[in-house]
Amino acid sequence: MVDRIFAGVLLIVTLAYAVIAFTAISAPFQYDPLGPESWPQILSIVAIACLLVILWKPDATKMDMTRKAWFRLAATVIMLAAYAELYEPLGFILSTILFGTSLCAMLGAGLVRSLVFGATAGVAGYLLCVSLLDLNLPDGELIEMLLEPSVQEGAS
Amino acid sequence: MEAVFSGLATGFAVALDPFNLFLVLAGCFAGTLIGALPGLGPINGVAILLPIAYGLGFGPESALILLAGIYYGAEYGGRISSILLNVPGDASAVMTTLDGNPLARSGNAGRALSLSAVASFVGGTFAVILMSLFAPVIAAFAVTFSPANYVALMVFAFASLASLVGKSTVKTLLGATIGLMLATIGIDANTGIPRFTFGIPDILAGIDFLIVVVGLFGMAELLTLVEHQVSGKLKALPVDKSFVKWADLVVCKWTIIRSSIIGFFIGILPGTGASVASAVAYGTEKRIADKDKTFGTGDIRGLAAPEAANNAAAGGAMVPMLTLGIPGSGTTAILLGALLMFNIQPGPMMFAQRPDVAWGLIASMYIGNVALLVINLPLVGLFARMLTIPQHYLTPLIAILAFIGIYTIVGNPFDLLLITLLGVFGWFLRKLDFSLAPIILGFVLGSLFENNLRRALSISGGDWSILWMDYKSIVLYVLALAVVIAPIWLGMRARKMEGDATHEKV
Repeated sequence: MVDRIFAGVLLIVTLAYAVIAFTAISAPFQYDPLGPESWPQILSIVAIACLLVILWKPDATKMDMTRKAWFRLAATVIMLAAYAELYEPLGFILSTILFGTSLCAMLGAGLVRSLVFGATAGVAGYLLCVSLLDLNLPDGELIEMLLEPSVQEGAS
Repeated sequence: MEAVFSGLATGFAVALDPFNLFLVLAGCFAGTLIGALPGLGPINGVAILLPIAYGLGFGPESALILLAGIYYGAEYGGRISSILLNVPGDASAVMTTLDGNPLARSGNAGRALSLSAVASFVGGTFAVILMSLFAPVIAAFAVTFSPANYVALMVFAFASLASLVGKSTVKTLLGATIGLMLATIGIDANTGIPRFTFGIPDILAGIDFLIVVVGLFGMAELLTLVEHQVSGKLKALPVDKSFVKWADLVVCKWTIIRSSIIGFFIGILPGTGASVASAVAYGTEKRIADKDKTFGTGDIRGLAAPEAANNAAAGGAMVPMLTLGIPGSGTTAILLGALLMFNIQPGPMMFAQRPDVAWGLIASMYIGNVALLVINLPLVGLFARMLTIPQHYLTPLIAILAFIGIYTIVGNPFDLLLITLLGVFGWFLRKLDFSLAPIILGFVLGSLFENNLRRALSISGGDWSILWMDYKSIVLYVLALAVVIAPIWLGMRARKMEGDATHEKV
């Protein structure tokens, strides 16, 4: 069942891809006989054929997941998205402390240990990457505004 | 032969540069660590660390030496969690658990670890030696390939991928096609027409390779770790004082040699990496050597076979990547993408144009293998302690590393969301028994495949028969057909033999 749903969703995407490949893409002039549209057309046909086979004969039937595992996964994805959103505004150190602590705590470490882990990852990670390895990490817009506004241009 | 020696001289000059030497050692050490961590295999390790290695601003040969060190270091380290925890780091280490874990449980953990280190060393070194002999020959031959031959080569690569990798042929084929389709996004290089960009300026140049790799491998792996979250520590068996004996090596000598050969040649086949090699080597050894039915209960030969094979395959997989520009496994596909990021097109011309990169990499593998043996024998206790790092520290660390890598290179917070989304997609694919390696192979090979097809048809003026006009193409198509048919035929024969056996019992 899951296989069919997944293949169905992919089939819709592939059909859209095929429609674009067969109608929208064309070059005003081209030097090779195939042009930019033929290759995507071939690919879309192969993909649709594969998807039809899966729809006809699916093999994975159940996801085999507990409700708890679903919950953990959803929470992780939300945390990752929040981490991504806060990465620049809060800067690497603060956002990493937040993310590290919360994910670590959710996965079963004690609160104190999680805090220690998050803080270490944020501060040590920043020092290691920025000063030792010379990588470019966000200082955080908030902190930058407080300290020295001129750094902002260099960081972005 | 002369070309080999002068090439090796160039290579060692590059690899013995103190900085590169340091990178070999650092890569091997980091790789062993990553391989030893339960659940993290070579492909995820290379995927997560690739953007960071790129961001450090090294020259192409140095970055590649570092990444390759991580790659075969992780193949090496995978045995530690297999033996002590009975949890394979990735598919290629599954076979190692069969005899390695029983050995450790019967109080021979130290012996099993040191024996497998020696087997890995022999397999790895054997592969590098064959590689330095074969690679220039194949490269010299491949220079004569026409675009039509390249199309045939791709068909062969995808055929062997579909028939040997993953549980379901259709799903592997679909995965490769998804990869090829992802590669068509962006501006068409021949005509300048944007395809599937929907006017989004960020993807005009195509979807960034790093984002696909880190998303599909790094982030999907992280979600899988969260899904299988076990609270508390895994129980690792202690490393005892037992050590490999000379008599063990004498018993295993033919096993190791046979498995190295099998591993190397399976590694060369495009698309099939260490996991297929170790399974075939174990199966073959079981048939040849298992007279007392001791395989699976802690037979040292059953441990040596897959370990020699998977390290030989890791080297073998490099051969088509370096000489033809067609990766032999998922991990080498990532290394190929790394080379492309440095504007180096791997393939037959690389040995002529960038001998420092090609031979430097090969020479670094000689050094790396020796270094791995040396750091693995005394330090195995240290790596074993890594096994007990609780998952709740490891998992956030993967995300933090992935974010650092992507942000450093791309510098755009939108891409951080994108890798999270790709991670969810990759997790779904894995959950549904798709293997991810074909997708990355398709993605990396997409433009090469399309451009050669279009070039071939430009030469013939649109006549498709050019694709099978010359003997090289025909040989490759025949090989492709053989690769697809052989497993089916062998499967049918095995079933028939099983049927005969049950008959005899009756």
